[in-house]
Amino acid sequence: MIVGLLMALIAGSLISLQNIFNSKVNERTGSWATTSLVLGMGFLASLTIGLIMEGSHLFMLQNMKPWYWASGTIGVGVVICLVQGIKLLGATYAISIVLSSQLVFALLWDSLGLFGLEKIPFTFMQLIGVVVIAGGIFVFKLGGEIEKQKAYN
Amino acid sequence: MKGIIFAFLGGAFITLQGVANARISEDIGTWQAATITQLTGFIVALSILMFVRDGKWQSFKEVKPLYLTGGALAALIIFSNVTAIHQIGVTLSVSALLIAQLSLTFLIEINGWFGIAKKKMRLSQFIGIGMMIAGVVLLRY
Repeated sequence: MIVGLLMALIAGSLISLQNIFNSKVNERTGSWATTSLVLGMGFLASLTIGLIMEGSHLFMLQNMKPWYWASGTIGVGVVICLVQGIKLLGATYAISIVLSSQLVFALLWDSLGLFGLEKIPFTFMQLIGVVVIAGGIFVFKLGGEIEKQKAYN
Repeated sequence: MKGIIFAFLGGAFITLQGVANARISEDIGTWQAATITQLTGFIVALSILMFVRDGKWQSFKEVKPLYLTGGALAALIIFSNVTAIHQIGVTLSVSALLIAQLSLTFLIEINGWFGIAKKKMRLSQFIGIGMMIAGVVLLRY
């Protein structure tokens, strides 16, 4: 339990750093050049660490299924949706929806046991938890916008 | 409305990515999953870049080298995310992840680290993070 929570906190902190670094790259070039660089770097880093940790075992892929190759394209879908969402809604609103949507789908797929992952039975309390967290995201992200508008009025 | 759908789908894809990686790593290992999915993602993104040509590679020279390596963090992100999902499930993983993500971005913005324009902290941000933590406590009930 503690290890899992700690790992999730590490992942979130690194995503925050990565988003800031990526936006620095994006200031100078387009979103596809940035995406290609980011995924290329991620590939090289994973390959390097994998080789250090497992040596030639890294290339033993007995249980490989064809759709595993395709799953890498989900990341491309993420970029398309985020770029379009931000263009149409502005960053603050778009990101608030993206983050809340991540949570809603997390709960959905936990309850379904998507891809044969361990099923976590749906409870009403979990739904309330998710709604409170999503509310927190909107307060965090949009609170400033409302304060700003008040100052203008 | 279209923007909302894009944003909603974007969030769905981000979580789907984590769940798919968690599933794939059960079969072939976590580093293998990270290597393979990013290789195919890279190839597809590069092919799109060839069509849209929305940026020159040369402009990468104008960016500080540290920022160019941000993508490498994904190796550790995927590893920790997959481990978290296996240990505590998707909902709790995503919740804790988002709290850490928003809190660190908040810390970076109020301090103006990495040359980011300094922002004032607001009460609403503390309330927001407090609500998110309260939500995680509810999840465990």
